[in-house]
Amino acid sequence: MSGLVSTMRREMRRLASRPIYLFAMMAVPIGCALFFMSLLREGLPTKVPVAVVDNDNSALSRQMIRDLDATQLLDINSYYDSYHAALEAVRRGEIYGFFVIPNEFEKNAVAGHSPTLNYYSNMAYFIPGTLSFKGFKTIAVTTTGSVAAMQLVSTGLERDAVGALIQPLAVQDHLIGNPWSNYSIYLCNSFAPGVLALMIMLVTVFSICEEIKRGTSVAWLESARGSIIVALLGKMLPHTLIFSIVGIFIQSLMYGYNHYPLNCPLWVMILAMVLFVVACQGFALFICSVLPNLRLALSVVSLLGVLSFSITGFSFPVENMYGAVAIFSHIVPVRYYFLIYVDQALNGIPLYYSRWYFVALAIFPLVATTMLWRLKKACKNPIYIP
Amino acid sequence: MKKVVKYVVSWFVSLFRVWRREFYLVTHDAGVMLFFVALPLFYPVAYTLIYNPELVEEVPFCVVDDSRSPQSRELVRMADATQSMRFIGYASDMSEARRWLNEKACYGILVIPSDYSVKIETHQQAVVPFYYEMSLLMRYRTFMSALTDIQMAVGDEERQRLVAEAGDAAAGLDVTAIDSQAFFLGDVTQGFASFVIPGILILIIQQSMILGIAMLGGTSRDRQRINGGIDPLAIEATAVATVIGKVLCYILIYAPLTLYMLHYVPLIFGLPHSGVATDYLLFIVPLLLSSAFMGMVMQAFVSERESSLLVVVFTSLIFLFLSGLTWPRYAMDFPWRQLGDIIPATWGVEGFVNINSNGATLSQVPIPYTMLWRLTAIYFLLACLLWKK
Repeated sequence: MSGLVSTMRREMRRLASRPIYLFAMMAVPIGCALFFMSLLREGLPTKVPVAVVDNDNSALSRQMIRDLDATQLLDINSYYDSYHAALEAVRRGEIYGFFVIPNEFEKNAVAGHSPTLNYYSNMAYFIPGTLSFKGFKTIAVTTTGSVAAMQLVSTGLERDAVGALIQPLAVQDHLIGNPWSNYSIYLCNSFAPGVLALMIMLVTVFSICEEIKRGTSVAWLESARGSIIVALLGKMLPHTLIFSIVGIFIQSLMYGYNHYPLNCPLWVMILAMVLFVVACQGFALFICSVLPNLRLALSVVSLLGVLSFSITGFSFPVENMYGAVAIFSHIVPVRYYFLIYVDQALNGIPLYYSRWYFVALAIFPLVATTMLWRLKKACKNPIYIP
Repeated sequence: MKKVVKYVVSWFVSLFRVWRREFYLVTHDAGVMLFFVALPLFYPVAYTLIYNPELVEEVPFCVVDDSRSPQSRELVRMADATQSMRFIGYASDMSEARRWLNEKACYGILVIPSDYSVKIETHQQAVVPFYYEMSLLMRYRTFMSALTDIQMAVGDEERQRLVAEAGDAAAGLDVTAIDSQAFFLGDVTQGFASFVIPGILILIIQQSMILGIAMLGGTSRDRQRINGGIDPLAIEATAVATVIGKVLCYILIYAPLTLYMLHYVPLIFGLPHSGVATDYLLFIVPLLLSSAFMGMVMQAFVSERESSLLVVVFTSLIFLFLSGLTWPRYAMDFPWRQLGDIIPATWGVEGFVNINSNGATLSQVPIPYTMLWRLTAIYFLLACLLWKK
């Protein structure tokens, strides 16, 4: 036991002696979480700058422009007199889409000649492109419906029956857990833990392999009476404590300060966070044991850590990826934390459905123990290869 | 006069020697080569493989059908027939449907109320609730746009039926009074890889360069520590000559890689690529320069070879968000927009995406282009100042 205590003391001195630890363990994860929350504060980037090309200039076209401007989604910031002029504005990045009302539009619509409304959305910018598409489509649909209804009324049909025919089928949207389709809730809950995972893995590799690089690993093992398990426990536990506090603090910012949905008991997310911290440490420990070389292990962890933001399927669903690629999503701890968050905090479903994700997080440190013999060997004979 | 000539000649000689030494240091350092060469070569491929399925298709949904009528079955058939949605079965009630949702067997629930067929038959508006599982916004978006199409199709059908029923009074009336058509610019297939990869390429250029340069700086500090404050491999030269000489070396290494990333990667994976080569290659010159000078500035904050990774890696995420690729810049608060302004990749992403995906010419992206040259000047001056110190 005294081996564990003396190793922990030694590690705490090391952590306190270098500002890089304070920076990487606290400043970066908390700073990034605050950054995401502040940047995405609005939740939905509404008022997409768009333009209108009105070649008709009729009462109907002006009505449509008023309708477009009245939607929450769009902000008509310019008018052009041709498709080409509007397209140029898209290329210059001034607008994210435009709506074209053709010549003689009202006349042809009333006469039943089926004029065509064209609208263009710049999907090179996904969110504004999608929102402008949604706004344009809504107006095109309601205009179509109301003009058709107007014609049916003119044939002498009852007004009551026609009213419903503007939109005979209405889909009523129920957005479970996130009724505002708020991007902030969605991105902060995935990217803040993602950054935390990246920093946990970097710091774990850095603190272990630096001992080997500087040749202090012999003293480290000695303080733990030669046991690699005690040495690692003594080294990692202070990290686990600090990272868990940082992680829970980030959760408190999200669920407490920002009132993101938390539809489960608080302890579930706290437990998930602690297991997640340990899982990330286990993942990093495994890499250090296989590659007990500071530079190599750090490079591998950096490359994997950055890729893990994409591979975990925060934005593009894993089940739609190629099978051979999707399989890698199972080896990153942040994937399981994310799934627990979805089940518990967002959807609030029974804990039973998330049981395997907790088990998966617990497996990471166990896997790491299988390679400890390699790490011990490296710690006994520290050789630094730059 | 002779003195001036002699000074100029010796300045250029020192520049050349810095360049040559830096080239030696880079090519003999596996860690730096990993960031300078392997990362630009393989990261674009890795990212494209992840996102290359492009579209979210066949998202599973289930149905709670309280109407059990030909009309309700027709609605389910219509939804299942779309590319976006896949019908997995009828749930007996809402709680069974919720269980399927919890088991992730489906991500949406369509509820058809008992009065559905009556409403449709009698030309009243039928309201159909749909429950979206909201963990991924891509699935929500896929469902929503398919459902809008179904609403429109049912609307057309119903209006036509009404006209048919009205008989002579409405004979010959075309109820699809207005056609509307959506066009997608930049990323015509609305694919995810086609949207995200062009921007990611620019970030890879900037970040791999900064990582490699920071690592070179950290290694030099390591050597200084061992040798009493002097780097034995440094070349005697002025700050300006040192900074320019080193950056010329990095640019030379990046020239072929840039061509590979910006020209061949979009070609190989069938990503949007409608810009003219001279436009985007000219555009990218100040991005390379400003990223390299920015890397030299960041060297000042790196005290050790390996800690450079702890300081630099996470900035990729910050720079990705500041660039406006995922979250548009018009919706950012002023301070964040300003912070984005001083990052080369922000302007690089905007200009390159507009050229590459939207087919803009160099003259149509004047703001990003001039901003990149300004950043080049600013980071060059900063790098020189920090070098003297």
